[in-house]
Amino acid sequence: MADPVILLDNLSKTYLVPERDAGVMAAARSLVQRRHRAIKAVDQVSFRVEPGEVVGFLGPNGAGKTTTLKMLSGLLHPTSGTGRVLAYEPWQRQRDFLKVITLVMGQRNQLNWDIPASDSFELNRVIYRVPPAQYQQTLEELVELLELGPLINKPVRNLSLGERMKCEIAAALLHRPQVLFLDEPTIGLDVTAQRRIREFIREYNRRHNATILLTSHYMADVEALCKRIVVIHHGRILFDGPLAELVKRFSPHKTIAVELEHPIESNQYADFGEVVTQDDGRLMLRVPKADTAKVAGRLLAQLPVSDLTIEDPPIEEVIEQVFAQEVES
Amino acid sequence: MNQLRILWTFFRLGAMNELAYRVNFFTQLFQAVMSLVLSLGGLAVVFNQTDTLAGWRPAELVALVGIYILVGGLINLMIQPSMQRFMEDIRMGTLDFMILKPADAQFLVSVRQVEIWKLIDIIMGLGVLVIALVRLGAQIGMAQALAFGVALLAGATIVYSFWMMLATCAFWFVKTENILVIFQSMYQAGRWPITIYPGWLQMMLTFLVPIAFAVTVPAQALTGRLTNQTLLLAILVATGLFGAARWFWRFGIRYYAGASA
Repeated sequence: MADPVILLDNLSKTYLVPERDAGVMAAARSLVQRRHRAIKAVDQVSFRVEPGEVVGFLGPNGAGKTTTLKMLSGLLHPTSGTGRVLAYEPWQRQRDFLKVITLVMGQRNQLNWDIPASDSFELNRVIYRVPPAQYQQTLEELVELLELGPLINKPVRNLSLGERMKCEIAAALLHRPQVLFLDEPTIGLDVTAQRRIREFIREYNRRHNATILLTSHYMADVEALCKRIVVIHHGRILFDGPLAELVKRFSPHKTIAVELEHPIESNQYADFGEVVTQDDGRLMLRVPKADTAKVAGRLLAQLPVSDLTIEDPPIEEVIEQVFAQEVES
Repeated sequence: MNQLRILWTFFRLGAMNELAYRVNFFTQLFQAVMSLVLSLGGLAVVFNQTDTLAGWRPAELVALVGIYILVGGLINLMIQPSMQRFMEDIRMGTLDFMILKPADAQFLVSVRQVEIWKLIDIIMGLGVLVIALVRLGAQIGMAQALAFGVALLAGATIVYSFWMMLATCAFWFVKTENILVIFQSMYQAGRWPITIYPGWLQMMLTFLVPIAFAVTVPAQALTGRLTNQTLLLAILVATGLFGAARWFWRFGIRYYAGASA
């Protein structure tokens, strides 16, 4: 097996956050004597990513996703643990390292607001010292794949959010990085724009065998792009494996959707399972996986069922459950 | 050298940026002319009363005004806008993009923002300087010209390092723009040779807010007033401050990498 592109071993990051009570007196006191509270943003995280893999990095807000990405791209020093990206220790920020990675942050822009994106691209070309021929080729490819055609000659401020994000992604890829860290690349975009960017990421990965670590709040992104996901919560890794495996492991339930011929009294269906939703002739029940067949049979026998389907719960729900379990334990 | 190409690209971007707002050209031209008229008017008032001011003759003071406008133009062309942008980048989190580029990040943030119309100030400053020199009929020898060049470079370096250190404080305090406003208003004092001010103020303008080195010292070099000791001091202060700014920047970046969320 080839060497992994990303290798993290017990990586931890603790922030010292100044802390003070409410009120003027407390504020004044904090000028003289500051109290700090240590917050473990990332707690002994270990995983590896192989060349060409697209890995989805999931977790609720504040789980430590961005902190991990920032350490991997070299912006932050870990408090402890080791990490390697390609042959480099990221936080040394060696130039050769910076030339082969990129970080896209969906909530932050690097493009200059007042000038066309093509001019900002030019700046990146100079800074990354991309040879003109290679630059031309890369730019043409990106323009084609992202459908940038007329966009790159308009001032960035005149672009829509989706168009701007496409230009941001192009700017981040002009130096042909091998490792892409994408932090919420589709945040705030409409469904069409999200799909475009998703398709682009898949195509880019296919063409260049780039290794991609991606965070997103949109499960559609993850389902479409990532065979493997890493779930992080409170700075710890809860799960690392294929998406289907996550559903199997963390959701001991199935959902049974029932279509009824006519509405019935609620006491007639209450004992079949946990009622998720019900309105008029439709009923959604959550039942333990092992009981699914038995409950379905009883439903068919006892209620005026016109249609019945058994489904895995939506991935969002599974993830929610993963996080909920962690809180209980 | 790649840094020169980067610098040139920032200039081009700055030019394109400003060409989008052409009205700024006229605003800047108006401002520059007003500032010049104000300075020369001030001189006229003074020399109605006296022939020399602290030993400076009228044409010599016009040369000083030229340097004042020139150095002010240099500051406003790149140093001030870049530093302001740098602090904004810290606040907005966009500094990350600069740190992730395979180039010296301090260099990048220092030349990041170019306000191209401030070239008007630089050209006007040079013009005033040349006119003053012609009026002086001064024979400027090689040594004097060289001393002037060195003093000007030292002065610019000192001012840059000073700004850089103040801006770097933004790593800890986030909002430090107000400190920079103080510099802007203090710079006004550079219109006059600092030798006209009382001793305590001279000390302040030399070491606290180093305007003396930026304007008065180069003017002294040009008018044959500069002692070797002062020139040496300027060079030493410039080297020391530049090194200190570099060290402080590195310290700030380390802090940023250790603590920022």
